[in-house]
Amino acid sequence: MSLARSRPRHGEQVIKAILLVAALVSVATTIGIVVSLLEPTIRFFGQISAVEFFTSTQWGPLFEPPHYGVLPLVSATLITTGIAIVVAVPLGLGAAVYLSEYARPRVRKICKPVLEVLAGIPTVVFGFFALSFVTPLLRGILPFEIEIFNALCAGLVVGFMIIPIVASLSEDAMTAVPSGLREGSYALGASRMITSLRVVLPAAFSGIVAAVILAISRGAGETMIVYIAGGGQPNFTLDLGKAMQTMAAFIAQAGSGDVPIGTVDYNTIFAVGSLLFVMTFAMNYVSARLVRKYREVYE
Amino acid sequence: MPNVTVRGPVAPHTAEALDPVFTVAGLSVFYGEYEAVREVDLTIGNREITAMIGPSGCGKSTVLRCFNRMNDLIPGARAAGKIMYHGEDLYGAHVDPIEVRRRIGMVFQKPNPFPKSIYDNIAYGPRVNGMKGKMDDLVEEALTQAALWDEVKDKLKQNALSLSGGQQQRLCIARAIAVKPEVILMDEPCSALDPIATTKIEDLMQELSRDYTIVIVTHNMQQAARVSNRTAFFTADVDERGERHGRLVEFDETSRIFTNPTDKRTEDYITGRFG
Repeated sequence: MSLARSRPRHGEQVIKAILLVAALVSVATTIGIVVSLLEPTIRFFGQISAVEFFTSTQWGPLFEPPHYGVLPLVSATLITTGIAIVVAVPLGLGAAVYLSEYARPRVRKICKPVLEVLAGIPTVVFGFFALSFVTPLLRGILPFEIEIFNALCAGLVVGFMIIPIVASLSEDAMTAVPSGLREGSYALGASRMITSLRVVLPAAFSGIVAAVILAISRGAGETMIVYIAGGGQPNFTLDLGKAMQTMAAFIAQAGSGDVPIGTVDYNTIFAVGSLLFVMTFAMNYVSARLVRKYREVYE
Repeated sequence: MPNVTVRGPVAPHTAEALDPVFTVAGLSVFYGEYEAVREVDLTIGNREITAMIGPSGCGKSTVLRCFNRMNDLIPGARAAGKIMYHGEDLYGAHVDPIEVRRRIGMVFQKPNPFPKSIYDNIAYGPRVNGMKGKMDDLVEEALTQAALWDEVKDKLKQNALSLSGGQQQRLCIARAIAVKPEVILMDEPCSALDPIATTKIEDLMQELSRDYTIVIVTHNMQQAARVSNRTAFFTADVDERGERHGRLVEFDETSRIFTNPTDKRTEDYITGRFG
């Protein structure tokens, strides 16, 4: 009797090849994006000085005379994302703690899918919701004046949009905390709230950070909401009631116009895109390092 | 008060503890409609070690988890009958389960230290309960009582998960002691440990029973015989629908249970004929 393979297993090879292709597609897409961003970006910096790009506070590449200072776009992106985080992290974490630690199983079974539906709403819908509902509401209740198009509303609604990401992924991380840790805490006379805050949250910390990072990336790259509700004026200001243009919103605006290939205007779009890509990538990298450093390993 | 800390026969023979901390009468525990344990009566003597033994699924852990109302955390769990704690109904309407758990500590089957430093593990309970006093002293006292101080005194800031399984379990005992409970419940505390670590925990239990009332659930009959003053033997009845219901078969001084059991099922179990 031989222990050699008795019949060839061709099927396995085929499946392996298919799976490999599936994995390669997304890798290839990423590489393709980087390459397609890189080439026009390099040409852009051949035409416009990097010093102007990174230090000038005026942006208006499509105007005459053109200005190429990216800072207004960067600041608008940081501001709207910042507002979004301020909204989404407390609300998302609150929802996660509720669903994971307080809600009865039946409530959780209903609530979680509903929450996730929120993540599936097209962002263009959020955009018009912001412009036609939230902005008028804010104008009614805020003691100070805000413009029709403004960063505050855009940031708030981006925040609402990313709540499900924070909530759902954080809830997964908290549910994954071994129930033995909770029991250990309850057995010492800790209440549900203390157990959630001092045992479950720290134990789920790395997963929660990952959730927040993903939410920030989504928020920073968010286009339609800030395009519709934030307006198209690149203002370099901290006044949240003013219109602002984020990097993604500029790309959408410029990209939807008829910009001839190879011109400075065309290359500008890619330069801004590259910068956005680098910013999100850097953030992901730093946070991945942080998570590894502060991870509380159990088991 | 009679001296009940002496191991072995307490003369004259009494099945029930003379100085009870808990008096259980007609305790049944339900998970939803399912009756997991049926009509248990027993007493837990002050500063004694009471062992609860029996085959898997006989409800001994379920009964143990009633003593600190841990079952409250399971949706649908419900206790009928009475558990009196120093004459006070543990399931009375005015009773705060959180206060109950502060007075009645618990150690679990699998060591479950928090993923924090050794120091913070011990300090957690006192902090949560707003205990006064110098925290450093509290931590040292608890670790000393749990016979762990010498091993960890130089690495209090280290993560508790870096300790061995046996050390982790003693840390969990220290953590329970740190809130100065009256009773310590132990749910198969050695089942995840090697024999040497088990011996250490057993020695520790003997030590602790001078100051604390201990109730231990164990699968290990030798362990019950070695450490306990009284033993409750549980088994499970299977009803006509095939459901298992735990019940208490026999409760007596440990020496009687192991040398002269009155029930045939107890005898069969301790001699290894079933279970």
